[in-house]
Amino acid sequence: MHASLFVGSHLRRDLAILLTLALALAGLLVPHLLNRGLIFIVGMVWINAVFGLSFNLLFGTSGVLSFGQAMFYAAGAYAAAVFTQQLGWPLLPSLLIAAVTGGVLAMCIGFVALRRSEGVYFSILTLAFAELVHLLVANTSFLGKNDGLSALPRPRLSVGAWELDLSQGDMFYYCIVVVSVVLIALLRWVTGSGFGRALQAIRQDPERAEFLGIPVQRYRWMVFTLAGATTAAAGSLVAPWAQIVTPELAHWSNSTNPILYTLLGGSAYFWGPVLGAVTLSAVFYATRTLVGLSDLVTGMLLLLVVLALPGGMLGVLSRWTRRDSPRNETQEPKP
Amino acid sequence: MMFADVLTLLVNSLTWAMATFLVAAGLTLIFGTLHILNFSHGGFFMIGAYAAYSLTQALGGSESMAMYLFGALAGGAVVAVLGLAVDRLVLRRLGGVDDAYVLIATYALLLVCEGSTKLIWGLNYRSVMPPSVLDGAWVAGHAVIPKMSLFIIACGIAVFVAMEYFLNRTSSGRLVKAIAVDAWMARLLGVNVRLVYTATVAIGFALAGLAGGLLLANQTLSPSLASGFVIQAFGVIIIGGMGSVSGAFLGSILLGLIDAVGQWVLPSLPGLPFFIAMTLILLLRPQGLMGRRH
Amino acid sequence: MNPANRRDILKYSAAAAASTLSFPALNLAHAQGGPLKIGLITPLSGPQEFIGSYVKNGAEIAVDQINKAGGILGRQVALEIRDDKANPAAALAAARELLGAGINLHTGGISSAVVLALIPVMQQENGVFMTCGAGTEKMNHENYSPHLFRPGDAPDARGRAQARLMATKYPQITRWTGLIPDHEYGRTMWGIFVDGLLEFYPALTGKKPEILDPILLPYGVSDYRNSITQALRQQADGVYNATYGGDAITMFQQARGFGLMQRYKVVCDAANEFLVARGMKQQLPPHWTGMHYYAEANKGNAMSERFVADYLTKTKDPEPLGWAAEAHASIYALAKAIEKGKSTDTKSVIAHLKGLTWDTVTGPRTLRAEDNQAIKDVELVYIEPAATDKGYRVAQYQKVEGKSVLLPASPGKKLVLRTA
Repeated sequence: MHASLFVGSHLRRDLAILLTLALALAGLLVPHLLNRGLIFIVGMVWINAVFGLSFNLLFGTSGVLSFGQAMFYAAGAYAAAVFTQQLGWPLLPSLLIAAVTGGVLAMCIGFVALRRSEGVYFSILTLAFAELVHLLVANTSFLGKNDGLSALPRPRLSVGAWELDLSQGDMFYYCIVVVSVVLIALLRWVTGSGFGRALQAIRQDPERAEFLGIPVQRYRWMVFTLAGATTAAAGSLVAPWAQIVTPELAHWSNSTNPILYTLLGGSAYFWGPVLGAVTLSAVFYATRTLVGLSDLVTGMLLLLVVLALPGGMLGVLSRWTRRDSPRNETQEPKP
Repeated sequence: MMFADVLTLLVNSLTWAMATFLVAAGLTLIFGTLHILNFSHGGFFMIGAYAAYSLTQALGGSESMAMYLFGALAGGAVVAVLGLAVDRLVLRRLGGVDDAYVLIATYALLLVCEGSTKLIWGLNYRSVMPPSVLDGAWVAGHAVIPKMSLFIIACGIAVFVAMEYFLNRTSSGRLVKAIAVDAWMARLLGVNVRLVYTATVAIGFALAGLAGGLLLANQTLSPSLASGFVIQAFGVIIIGGMGSVSGAFLGSILLGLIDAVGQWVLPSLPGLPFFIAMTLILLLRPQGLMGRRH
Repeated sequence: MNPANRRDILKYSAAAAASTLSFPALNLAHAQGGPLKIGLITPLSGPQEFIGSYVKNGAEIAVDQINKAGGILGRQVALEIRDDKANPAAALAAARELLGAGINLHTGGISSAVVLALIPVMQQENGVFMTCGAGTEKMNHENYSPHLFRPGDAPDARGRAQARLMATKYPQITRWTGLIPDHEYGRTMWGIFVDGLLEFYPALTGKKPEILDPILLPYGVSDYRNSITQALRQQADGVYNATYGGDAITMFQQARGFGLMQRYKVVCDAANEFLVARGMKQQLPPHWTGMHYYAEANKGNAMSERFVADYLTKTKDPEPLGWAAEAHASIYALAKAIEKGKSTDTKSVIAHLKGLTWDTVTGPRTLRAEDNQAIKDVELVYIEPAATDKGYRVAQYQKVEGKSVLLPASPGKKLVLRTA
């Protein structure tokens, strides 16, 4: 298969860092140039990008299709909400505990689900678990039941004795950028590492990978746990950003969001979900005054991507560039 | 609990079960044969219902049983035609593609169904009454058994019997089953597999539309009808075994009973027993009660 | 690696950076002395789209009428409309965008989750928000903020008005039960109704009401038969229904098969206006329901008659449902507050909204200064099936004086209700 863009080389690693920095700079410039409403949307785009990247760590890299990632997103959001609002914890510990919550939940569910099912059964199982979580959250009193938890505070950031109040101005936006960049870098590093390459091997041919000595089940479980943790970390940023968490965060329609970003951008490319998240937000923003057509538009867009643009936007892009160079691959990268 | 209570509970569970089976039958047929899990099945169920509604309204209303049934058949026919179009435009292109993309494409199709329904029929809630012969209930002491409930149960059983007969007693039906088990071999033996696939899609979609028409008087007619039945239908075919019609039949009855008992025992967490059952089956016996492992 | 590829990726990242830098072009310009902009944030897609469309139409009519009369402070009014999809994140994005563009006055918001989500934003970004029919009581109680106003029916006024009406018209019916969706809104509405029963039955009839355990209907399902069966066993004389919209119609449809509603001497519905009637037509069980606004009950009110006429012209719909009227009223409240303070500044508008008495399609209303809740008369109608094309008709209607049923203000504190 043509050198997959996942397989890291020094050149690419540098490029990835460069790209991350460029995005980070653009992110930090945003508050000075945009109005507050757009800052909110851009903040959400960062969070959605991490959500999408976590999903693609499972899907694009490891070949694990989970229809229930929303449950980890919600777990992180609710954990952050409870710890910052009811226990008054500052940001970093809340974030960590949210990520741990997501990771532990993923560990338990992954242990049960991955062992016992595969393929489409596994995907539906994740959907079932997510709906279970949705149900439990919507019926739990101290989580606010259907109304969720509202009036969430923007926590303070304390490192030792130094404190920073994140409710001032755009401080929390910068916080989102920093945390997102860290998470993206983490995901990029994992993807390019030996573990990441093993996961790609598992996706391409699990049987062969097993023969090569890669512990397929264990690695799938590990990546599922990791994706759960990073998804929960992304979710934990939503709680202080939107200042409300509702059970809808765990609904299966929220699980389809990262799938949308990934497919739109291209699942075979690390940056696909990011591009997808940015593009979709741009589309929704541009059509925000055209009311009533969102279902039809989203559906048609998705259909178009799946049927006509396999590999998503980056797939199309790379095919255009490959036209300039002699074809030396025997097959297209598997979409 | 008194006998009357048990009887009513049983009838209610069976009503839910058969309603769900009517929706799930086409879904499991298509999965069994084409190995495509059609997320948009609920959307076509909804379109079938709306089509039946529009037709019967235009022809004077569905007070007579004949009209009501005609509406349902018409709904089935309309959706079957749509199914052929979907097969041509979407499903064929998903032949060699990863399972994930198929699921996502059919989810996109569901969104298209919902959007189109809103565009064509608008947002208003509508309510269709059962035909007058099905109005009312049989009362026996404390037991109240609505005639509509019995109608739905009868429909479910009828569809089940028809499908079992088709799949097991007719040569074309057996062909469908054969292809479900081993399409490659069937192709080698000269069977026009593509044709059978198309026919199966048509039948599956027709069942969705028919279900929509038959269940028209069971709930509100609104653009959110699709999402209401999606998860239920999935649960039922998973428990029964994806691809098995008899599995879906049994699965729906089992889930209906579990749900009813659950509402009795754990009323504060509605739907929980349903998802727990679904989860347990997926873990312990993923091929379901009557399915076979792929 | 292919040099062409790398070039492309650099090209692409530069393009991405450039496009974010070009966002300022999308900044909404607002000139001083240009149109006076009011934000309208309401569901225009998704499950609540149907109700949101009434809100939009009602607000647009109000703006047209005001503009024809010269505008506010000499400026023409324009609505900036955003779809909140009844989900908090979308509502927040829309609100922050409009606030960032200098639009500080908003209306809309019929979803409780949206209203609760907007409270901190309105505080932080110094905006004003008026809800056109959200069901949550928390915005005037434990979540109270001076930046949010409810210019329409209070949930507690509505439920207690209904209880009071029952005590007045049906003094013999003392055995009550409820068909309650199992979520916050449902439970709160039932709690409020029970509070009303416990106050008004002894006060007006001398009898104590017998309050049975309500039937909790599972939320998010489409089969209510088991709950209906439970209700049959209860043998109550009066029933209070809090199921809403499409769910309510499904429930009534399925209940009809069992003959449930026929077993009650009176059916009282919380808030469905004409939704159930329009859905079921001749098959409807006769029932009382609450309306945010009923045109017939306001004949003689010039503003109301003009509103109905304008609504018909605009939408061909002769029967604007209550939410349209609430949107209409909210725009007029904002207009009056702006005129009084001669400013659109948030502080001034809030100060003038508090305690404001203004004319609406239901007559004059007053916004209580302590908790930003309007004192408004509650309109209740009795709907019967009719052998007409429409399928239903209003057999009687009642206006219950708001002051007599509205609970005293308790901003910052949870709503406290009597229990059986």
